[in-house]
Amino acid sequence: MALLEIRGLCKAFDHVVLDRLDLDVEAGEFFVVVGPSGIGKTTLLRCVAGLETPQAGTVRVRGTDVTGLPPYRRNVALTFESYALYPHLTVFENIASPLRARRRPAEEIRRKVREVAKLLRIEHILDHRPGEISGGQKQRTALGRTLVRDPDVFLLDEPISHLDAKIRHELREQFHHLEELRRTATLYVTHDYAEALSLGDRIGVMGPGGLVQIGTPEEVFERPRSLFVARHLGQPTINLLPAALRREDGRVSLELEGCGARLPLTAEQAAALSARTGDRVVLGVRPHHIALADGAAPADGGLLEARVELYEPLGAKGVLLAELGSTRLHVLTPIDVHFRPGERVRLAFDRSAFLFFCPERGVNLVD
Amino acid sequence: MKQETTTPAVPEWFEARRKPRARIVARWVPWVMVGIPVLVLLAIVVYPTVWMAYHAFHDTNMMGLFTGRYAYVGWQNFANVLSDPRFHNSVVNLVWYLTFGATLEVLLGTALALILYELVPRPGLRVVLLVAMVLPMMLPPSIVGVLWKFLLQANNGAVNHLLINLGLMAPTERIDWLGVDLSLTSLIIADVWQWTALPLLIVYSGRVSLPPAVFEAARVDGASRFTVLRRLTLPMLKEIIAIAFILRFMDAYKFVDKVYVMTSGGPAQSSELPVFIAFQKGIREFQIGEAAAYAWLIFVVAAVIITLFLQYLKRVLKAQAFA
Amino acid sequence: MSETSARLIRILLLAFLGVWLFFTLFPFYFQLITSLKPVAEINRMVPTFWPEVLVPGNYAGIFADPGSLKALQDSLVVALANTALSLFLGTLAGYALARYLKGPVGENLSFWILSNRMFPPVAVLIPMFFLFDNTPWGTDSYFSLIVLYLVFNLPLATWLMMVFFRDAPVELEEAAYVDGWKPFQAFSRITLPLVLPGMISVAMLCFIFAWNEYLFANLLTGTNVKTFPVHIPTFTQGSQTLWNLVMAFSLVAMLPPVVMFILLRRYMVRGLSLGVVKG
Repeated sequence: MALLEIRGLCKAFDHVVLDRLDLDVEAGEFFVVVGPSGIGKTTLLRCVAGLETPQAGTVRVRGTDVTGLPPYRRNVALTFESYALYPHLTVFENIASPLRARRRPAEEIRRKVREVAKLLRIEHILDHRPGEISGGQKQRTALGRTLVRDPDVFLLDEPISHLDAKIRHELREQFHHLEELRRTATLYVTHDYAEALSLGDRIGVMGPGGLVQIGTPEEVFERPRSLFVARHLGQPTINLLPAALRREDGRVSLELEGCGARLPLTAEQAAALSARTGDRVVLGVRPHHIALADGAAPADGGLLEARVELYEPLGAKGVLLAELGSTRLHVLTPIDVHFRPGERVRLAFDRSAFLFFCPERGVNLVD
Repeated sequence: MKQETTTPAVPEWFEARRKPRARIVARWVPWVMVGIPVLVLLAIVVYPTVWMAYHAFHDTNMMGLFTGRYAYVGWQNFANVLSDPRFHNSVVNLVWYLTFGATLEVLLGTALALILYELVPRPGLRVVLLVAMVLPMMLPPSIVGVLWKFLLQANNGAVNHLLINLGLMAPTERIDWLGVDLSLTSLIIADVWQWTALPLLIVYSGRVSLPPAVFEAARVDGASRFTVLRRLTLPMLKEIIAIAFILRFMDAYKFVDKVYVMTSGGPAQSSELPVFIAFQKGIREFQIGEAAAYAWLIFVVAAVIITLFLQYLKRVLKAQAFA
Repeated sequence: MSETSARLIRILLLAFLGVWLFFTLFPFYFQLITSLKPVAEINRMVPTFWPEVLVPGNYAGIFADPGSLKALQDSLVVALANTALSLFLGTLAGYALARYLKGPVGENLSFWILSNRMFPPVAVLIPMFFLFDNTPWGTDSYFSLIVLYLVFNLPLATWLMMVFFRDAPVELEEAAYVDGWKPFQAFSRITLPLVLPGMISVAMLCFIFAWNEYLFANLLTGTNVKTFPVHIPTFTQGSQTLWNLVMAFSLVAMLPPVVMFILLRRYMVRGLSLGVVKG
């Protein structure tokens, strides 16, 4: 039995947000829900916290059905995207709030708050009010308010999205080390795929209506079940090229639309797709699976010539925007090269990483 | 991406939405919280109004009320009121009073607020001047009436003698402010003195809360102050000015404190307002039926204005919520 | 527009402001000096604009007069009791309207409540004059004024508390529920402190309106209960009005509203404009 069990959860406002959503989060598991803004991630958390009432479905915590309970009767901790710190209380009192609500002795409160503050490195601001501290400190305070209380489930709503990059990274690292979060079930919501891949034991990609794919970060990133998932994870986004499957001399190959180039397939791909010969497909190639070929062509061909349109050196790597016939590709390059617009380059595709999607339904055809 | 983020087909459970079960508080609690004031208002506002409506169709007077003997007279009371020259006179007075009272207050208040904000350089000084100009509002309206009655006395009143000292009037001349010709004007002067403060205060605060970035942008574009005023400031303050006007209008319409204290409607009914007559008929002369007819005529006009106003207010607040 | 004419307009406008300030403040000045003059000087045929004798004793005179003290007491009792009642009921209702009754029913209810404030009291006052006789307290009582001032203060308090509660973010309350606070605790520990400035200003507005009310008090009460606006015009000796006492008392009675206004100007403006001006 999973610690957090969601079954058939339905929630609609004036439109449907969650349609029969199922999700299990095990004890000790860090589950990240990732998806575009406004898709219903926060609604899911609010349903688990008891702030929204679903139209149908159940939420169980440690086997107990809590669907009908108001938030103050559920032992569930939630951080808000806006932090929701009490502006009239000090940081200490903000963190102490859940303990005070449970009428714990003053001595215990003082000890626990100090512990948590030490862990989050905010001991020096305990006497300040939320108006006087920085964004990162606010987030730590909000986190402290949930960590101090030993809940059954942690719900974290975009906890670090609104911080600047440096603090964001620092806090992301801290999430890895927070023992408290690893003891119980955590449901973490973000729109940033990198956070999801970095933090999640498992991740779930949320699309319209619910979770469209659940799996380990590697699974979801490398074998997206649909175009939606493939497109949502990765930066720069995955290259999607319209193509057609062709059979020649008993070998299946791929003809790219717009430039007419042919790409050979691996044996497994050919086997999986042979039934679809003649069909149109969408080829998905991640930017880091395209390399710049300077020397000889690989034995089986698959080397394409493209025109440089734009090159962005980004410090540790570069992003090349190349024009291939009528389509455009993003290519991740090492930093020691330089390109001028208009220059011609040759691109080598890593065939083993090809993804094939149905152009109509968006499903992964090989997976 | 677009077609993928649209909502999925509406599932069957959506139509048969279940009533939400977990609630922060039970469903009836907020209704009770609102219910108490609603009941109070039903008892002290709606019930008396209905009582008045009932007696507006009866020939009720003091004796009738205590003995329970009064007869149904149909629209007779209304006919009496509507054909009464005293009523006609009071309506004319009211129109003057509202036009020159409420309108002048809003025009002056807006002008003063903008002058204060735009032309007085130091913020500290502005606040001091604002508080000074708002002082009259803090006096009870009745006391304002007393004060002005004192200032406007014909023989040794301060206003007449001030005008003489300033050389605006011959030393022997006396303006009879509270006489037949000027009593209504004097009421209006006292009202303007007291209540210009309200639109002034509201418009000033509205101006303070306008975003400075817009005005900086206009200045960068080289717009003249007059253009900024006409194209930016006034349009942005439009709603606030309108609401200040309606607030003043309704208050001037319904309150007659100053009439009681300054002129008692006189001399010779020259400063009577409909509300004042209704009170006199009802509570001094005990012509309850006729007073009720007066009250209802006043009430109906007010109801129309209030309904329009509340619709406007609703729109303004909605627009604010989305802004 | 040339530089000089712009300056000229500026000077003219500032002059207008100056004239208005004079118009506003002169009555207060005259009120002040009248309150310090002896009766004989006030009754002269030509008023003095600079008092010849100062009689601060006029102020002591008010407090020596039992009628005046009674008037202040009556005003205070009525205004405080009515304010407390309006604020209590208005806070509950405003909270329910702001947080829970957000549908069309609640919205119309809130506008209906507000509309009660704007209706002319004439339709209420005349019946009440007769109806309060049937209560054990009678018309001329604290009770009738405390209850009747609800006619204008309860709608105001409800509406404004609703506005102030709407300004307070819901999320803080939700955070409190998640922390484990029950609804009333979340309300009193989190939301109430947040709206406290607004609440105080609502209380002050209610107090000022009740404190300054004249019409109801004049028509319904006057013997057992006599609030100061009714009392002040009765400072007479024979047929002569004792203007110095009238003015002195008015100035004293004006102090509470003025102090309140200076302290909470911003919130009061939001209140006076029914919530439209952010303040």
